[in-house]
Amino acid sequence: MDSDEVEKINLMLERDVELREKIKEHVNEFDKRTRTMVGMLNKIHTTPSDANRLEIAVPALLDSARTVLLSCRETTHALSVTVPENQFWRWKDMWSNPIRTAVFAATLIEYLSGRTLLSLPQAANMIGIKEEWSDRVNLPVEDYLHGLISLVNELSRLAVNAVTLGNFDEPIKISIFVKELFVGFSMLNLKNDTLRRRYDSLKYDIKKIEEVVYDVSLRKLTVGSQHRPLAPAS
Amino acid sequence: MSSPPIPHSSVVQLFEHFGADLDDHNDRRERIIKASRDITNISKKVIFLLHRIVLENTNNTDDVALAKRAAQSGYEKLRDVQSLYAKLAVELQGDRYWRYQRQVSPGLQEYIEALSFAHYLDHGSLITFDQVQQTLMDPHGVPYFPLTSSDHLLGLSDLTGELMRFAISGISRRGGRKKASEVCAFVRGCKSDFERMTPYIRDLNKKQAVTTQSLEKIEDAAYAIVVRSSEYDLPPEMLDDIVAQSISNYSSSGVDNGAAFGHDTYHKHPSTGRHRGRDINDDEDDNR
Repeated sequence: MDSDEVEKINLMLERDVELREKIKEHVNEFDKRTRTMVGMLNKIHTTPSDANRLEIAVPALLDSARTVLLSCRETTHALSVTVPENQFWRWKDMWSNPIRTAVFAATLIEYLSGRTLLSLPQAANMIGIKEEWSDRVNLPVEDYLHGLISLVNELSRLAVNAVTLGNFDEPIKISIFVKELFVGFSMLNLKNDTLRRRYDSLKYDIKKIEEVVYDVSLRKLTVGSQHRPLAPAS
Repeated sequence: MSSPPIPHSSVVQLFEHFGADLDDHNDRRERIIKASRDITNISKKVIFLLHRIVLENTNNTDDVALAKRAAQSGYEKLRDVQSLYAKLAVELQGDRYWRYQRQVSPGLQEYIEALSFAHYLDHGSLITFDQVQQTLMDPHGVPYFPLTSSDHLLGLSDLTGELMRFAISGISRRGGRKKASEVCAFVRGCKSDFERMTPYIRDLNKKQAVTTQSLEKIEDAAYAIVVRSSEYDLPPEMLDDIVAQSISNYSSSGVDNGAAFGHDTYHKHPSTGRHRGRDINDDEDDNR
């Protein structure tokens, strides 16, 4: 190789290294914020069982978590500025974890406040992702789905802990919600990758939730079961 | 912030959309893998073709012209690869290229190996990054996809193996040793240029180890030649002729005739040897 060519190639390589380092900085920040959120949201399993206090405590918790979530918009914006045009897929693996966690947090907050599913565009909006950046920063289907699976994992745990805290209706709400998601997931043609393996784990979450529903229904603990006998959840 | 509850049918719709999205991606991935395999196939065939042509027995012992002819054949066949990439370009537009880069990579490196081999035969030099990218552009100068320094260097690294084969298989031909020592110097240069880049490119390290082995093979061959030819006080071309004559005597007089070779051949007067050499070439022509 002549020396010009060598210099040129080395310059290209060094530029890539610098870019990677800049992106890493933003990703670390993103990571910090999502971990903070997860820490906050963990408290939903232990907030007081007293009905009144529950009504105050949980929304307050969700509000503070939501604030942190919205602060993630700064990092996504920073990423959109750093990542070069059309290179989203080149760098996205660097922030897969925080973005999936963010989706998990956002959908969990949505479930706890409205008992509904936060859609992909809504989730992207919460994290601050704009359409015009889609070639640089985006929320792809796979990451959204990973976030949903984490949500189901968390809800199966919540079903158990809710009962412990005296909330006997929550497991049934969770069961209905999660079963719908499972129907949706079953419609996908998945390859043998991590998503497929995590999807396979969903059925254990469903089983766990169903067992909780079974337990509370048979013991006539739920509102519904007080009026008529309930068949075991199928 | 409460949005209206998503009814069951909407969840289903949502996932139908996801399903279509994932199917689209996976199907595209498969198409690209198939194209990549075809590209690898053609490129490997080109490399074999190049080796074959440079070893052709011809009257005209102008190796440079032969090498250039080989290069032209190589370039022509590689146009098939370029048209495959032209077709593939539509799947790799915008931000898509990076999504499928891992599937494109293997075929691309094989193509660069073949292309750079042809280029070496044509010009005796290492093809540049820009020159490679230029072969992967449409008529308006728009690249089919962005060439990465990683694929470029990994493809070039594989070239050193082919050059080793090129040098050694041609060593017994006229001018083979000179060619081998040129290749030796060239590969040594490549190895040292790439060394500086190994921290930046995954797997380049492993390929450098292979390059070192190839270099050693060429070096050993060059050494053997120097040691052996020092035993005979004749210019290298004459030694080539003597060996060639001996081989030809063996094949023209049949296996049983042991007299065809033996010390007589080696102790003939040099000028006679050269004359016989020319006759032998004529014989070969008649026999074809």
